[in-house]
Amino acid sequence: MKKIVIYALTTCLWCKKTKKFFEDKKLPFESVDYDKQDEAKQAEIMKEMKGQGCTGSFPFTRIGDSCVQGYDPNEFEKLLEKK
Amino acid sequence: MTFEPRKRALRYLFEPLIDSLGYKFTPLEEDADFLLEQEAALEAETGVPYCPCQARTRDRAENMRIVCPCIPFHREHYDAMKRCWCGLFVHKDVTDPDKLKQIPEAVFYADKSR
Repeated sequence: MKKIVIYALTTCLWCKKTKKFFEDKKLPFESVDYDKQDEAKQAEIMKEMKGQGCTGSFPFTRIGDSCVQGYDPNEFEKLLEKK
Repeated sequence: MTFEPRKRALRYLFEPLIDSLGYKFTPLEEDADFLLEQEAALEAETGVPYCPCQARTRDRAENMRIVCPCIPFHREHYDAMKRCWCGLFVHKDVTDPDKLKQIPEAVFYADKSR
């Protein structure tokens, strides 16, 4: 099973909806709330996101080796099915 | 601490600004209420109603680009989505915001430059 990691903000509506998407599918995921992390961890997360060509907009979801910025259920489904 | 008064004030302050930009509050009341609540809380914490779905950095100039309503700083991008990133505002002609997709900024500008 692919590892799923969600970088989120506790204030973000679409981060809540993204977590609910995977909860409803009973898929385990790791969730990291960016705004609750210390400065070093925030810099690490932002470096990873920008390294993937993304800006500081959330949610940022990593499914296996692929990543999705924003709430995009179709793209989540595609990546979950991708071999 | 209740944010209701400040949420009403933010609605009152934002209405004419977004109206002039061709936007309105999302008709999804539950989403609007949640987002305004987050903004009022962010404002109480930082003094500024930042976008609840974008990260602040240590760069003040970059942070100014996500002060709500941040539409003017992302005009082309948001017009392409017919909504702002957090979804608090949608184009005036939008009736079903759930059909609108979030297009990552990098994807939008990559598509635009093709």
